Amino acid sequence: MTAPDTRALPTLPLQINQGSPTHRFLQVFGLVLLVALAFLGSRANSFQVGLLTQALIYATAIAGLNLVTGYTGMLSIGHSAFFGIGAYTTGILVTERNWNPLTTFIVAFALCFIVGLIVGLPALRIRGINLALVTLALAVAFPELIDRFPGLTGGTLGLNVTLTSLLPPHWTGIGVQNRFEYYYWISVVVLALVLVLCANLTRGRTGLAMRATRDRETAATAVGINLAWIKVFTFGVSAAVTGVAGSVFAMYLGSLSADSSFTLTLSITLITGLVIGGVATVIGPIIGGLAVIYIPHWTEGIHQGETEGLFFGVILIILMFVMPDGLMGLTKRLTRHVVRIKPRAPTGPRPSDEELLVAHDQIAHPDPEGKGDTTLALS
Amino acid sequence: MQLFLEYLFDGISNGAIYAALALALVMVFRGTGTINFAQGEMALFTTYIAWGLTTKNVPIILCLLIATGAGFVLGAVTERVLIRPIERKSLLATLIVLLGLFLALNSLDGILWGNENYTMASLFPNKVSSFVSVGGARLYWANLGLWILVAVIVGAMFQLFNHTRLGLHMRATASNRESASLSGIAVGRILMLGWGFSAAIGAVAGILLTPLSPDSLGVGEMFPILIQASAAALLGGLDSPGGAVIAGLMLGVVEALLSGYVSVIGGQLEEAIAFVAIVLVLLVRPQGLFGSKEVERV
Amino acid sequence: MSLLEITDLRGGYGPSMVLHGISLSVDEGEIVVVLGANGAGKTTTMRAISGLISSKGAITLDGRSISGLHPDKVVGAGISLVPQGRGTFAKLSVEDNLQVGAAKRRDRAGVKDDLEQWYEVFPRLAERKKQPAGTLSGGEQQMLAIARALMNRPRLLLCDEPSLGLAPIVVREVFALLTRINTEQKTAMLIVEQNAQLALEIASRAYVLETGTVVTEGTAASLRDSDAVRRAYLGY
Repeated sequence: MTAPDTRALPTLPLQINQGSPTHRFLQVFGLVLLVALAFLGSRANSFQVGLLTQALIYATAIAGLNLVTGYTGMLSIGHSAFFGIGAYTTGILVTERNWNPLTTFIVAFALCFIVGLIVGLPALRIRGINLALVTLALAVAFPELIDRFPGLTGGTLGLNVTLTSLLPPHWTGIGVQNRFEYYYWISVVVLALVLVLCANLTRGRTGLAMRATRDRETAATAVGINLAWIKVFTFGVSAAVTGVAGSVFAMYLGSLSADSSFTLTLSITLITGLVIGGVATVIGPIIGGLAVIYIPHWTEGIHQGETEGLFFGVILIILMFVMPDGLMGLTKRLTRHVVRIKPRAPTGPRPSDEELLVAHDQIAHPDPEGKGDTTLALS
Repeated sequence: MQLFLEYLFDGISNGAIYAALALALVMVFRGTGTINFAQGEMALFTTYIAWGLTTKNVPIILCLLIATGAGFVLGAVTERVLIRPIERKSLLATLIVLLGLFLALNSLDGILWGNENYTMASLFPNKVSSFVSVGGARLYWANLGLWILVAVIVGAMFQLFNHTRLGLHMRATASNRESASLSGIAVGRILMLGWGFSAAIGAVAGILLTPLSPDSLGVGEMFPILIQASAAALLGGLDSPGGAVIAGLMLGVVEALLSGYVSVIGGQLEEAIAFVAIVLVLLVRPQGLFGSKEVERV
Repeated sequence: MSLLEITDLRGGYGPSMVLHGISLSVDEGEIVVVLGANGAGKTTTMRAISGLISSKGAITLDGRSISGLHPDKVVGAGISLVPQGRGTFAKLSVEDNLQVGAAKRRDRAGVKDDLEQWYEVFPRLAERKKQPAGTLSGGEQQMLAIARALMNRPRLLLCDEPSLGLAPIVVREVFALLTRINTEQKTAMLIVEQNAQLALEIASRAYVLETGTVVTEGTAASLRDSDAVRRAYLGY
């Protein structure tokens, strides 16, 4: 009897060990690909680059929303306010105080973090729909607040950011004519930094606590995960990230008007992008950002642009039926049949209560997609 | 005194609309466990239908009936087709579907009827002289008619809930859906009815509200109303129909008095203030003024 | 022919199968008890009969298939379930709870008579007619749940763990009530119970379930008398 041919074709799905050379190669390859794409994007004409920049800015904002809604399960309809706070922080500091716009990003991040913490406080007592409605109030109140203080914000007339402050510095070698490239690269860098931050945050213990809060809130409390800390902290970081996106937006747009850019519509757009891209994924927000900028662009010709809402509305509904985990979720589900990354066997210290909770949860409710199954998880 | 009364009358009218819509929101919440974000847009859509019919010289009463019927169908179909399959997935998914419906309906209004603002005919005599004098203030027939009609509708709903078999079955379904099913209640039909009634109430509210100011039928009309109604529902307690009505009236009156007397507040900051006030109430009493506490078992 | 006939019932929750081929029957006027440890599939069986979960296999009532029917249609066919944990409509009054039980009935006079009858049997329920049912004690809620189910005048009453969470004295009352109903109204009963000892006292036949299949069945007497069975499956 002949021995079976052990050099047969590999069966799908391919198993790749985490940390193995193959895995590392794939990661580096992916990174190189992204950088190449970024460079490719910058070569397009000014209009296209502008569109792309907007998409990346929105992607950053959506990444922020993802933290609080996707990972932690708290629906926020108020992120337009954080976006606006970041934008106006940059706008005001640059125009009134002559700050370097890039430094204002840090201030915007910090300020929005604090505001986010404050907004997160009601989340301790209020949950689910009630909390969503409270964030709705935030989105509605923000443009009104801006209009109330015209001395600071330009009120209903809007704020024009001094152009000279926004120009690319000499060392970039980008001239005034091509300043759109400068803004593009800023949005790329900010998005990259934000994604790294989010990826790290959601991978560690914090990420576990976030997901535990989303999926098994009462059980999480019973085990002792400090829910208060997680909810408030997540709101803070989420607001900070979206706020910084607003700052870049201020640079890109150069003139701010709360009634046109920072209304509830923006919040809904962000949610739409989040859902299209896929909640609780790192790449999802990028897809979402691209979607919410390009889809309206493509439908602009149809019926004088009135159809944008109809498209988005129908897309959202269809997505919930067939693809609740968004495009990224679909991609993951498809690629699982082809390639699978096997996590390292744990050799570290005894798992914490949180990790045990999540592990037990996964055994009791087999959930290979890691989606969770109650309350605010999407599917 | 006269000024106070005029503010009061306006407040009661707005409050009645908030109350009606808040009641609709609470009905859906009790049955299905979610807020119908698209409630305002459904009401707007049916108001447009009514308006469209009036431009074809259909008598206004008939327009009202047709639009209300259309609303009922819209609500029931939404429940059956959009909500029922999705709600078993998660709350967030349901909210997003409703958000999608909100966007789609609003856009559809613009596509079907254009983006200008229109003036809606009123059910009641609506000339400049159509008022009665009360304490020196003008009480317009349109307002009085609105109060009465809303009172009739709300009264009818309460009669339905508390004194009919159907109402009992609706309350049972809201209390414990599985047990209702196990008792022989056709839960699906009950849910559709709940949504249908809600949308019908919304339709009437829209048709009552719009004629009160000229040029007010536009794609952005219902949105602020929805926010106020949601605020009222939250304040009253999302599972309390009575609370919704009381809170709605309160909100309308307080809002009118505040914006009348305190000129710092004006425009839409009222909405924000209303919400902030409600946030504070919720922090102290998360179940709202009249809602019941939920005990969650681990 | 039996009143209820179940053949090769398979079912579960989503991807996890719990029942792997259950067969049992209940005759007219019988009390049949289903015993077994936690997770054996007892509740799942009840839920499958009631139509709360989908299942494969035959379920017939009087020879007519009821498999795949929606729960409210199963009730219409003449089967009422007293669910585990009682399923009380906590916010509705006691009287409303009972009225809901008659959801499928069209005879208002008959419903009124039944209400009166239950108030006679349970003076405590009569006292609390208008109170929210959630304020009743566990034992009272169990009585209410049974009464609610019986308002439907079912041919077959399903009871899922009626003794759960109740003090021993109350459990005896509940079982006494069930026996009385069975004797007076000839209602057949299928009762799932953890408390095997008590259950076997009122039953005529019993099935023992383990990991989704029937491992033993027989008359209550024979199961009571068999030391081996008692020790292996019934825990006493």
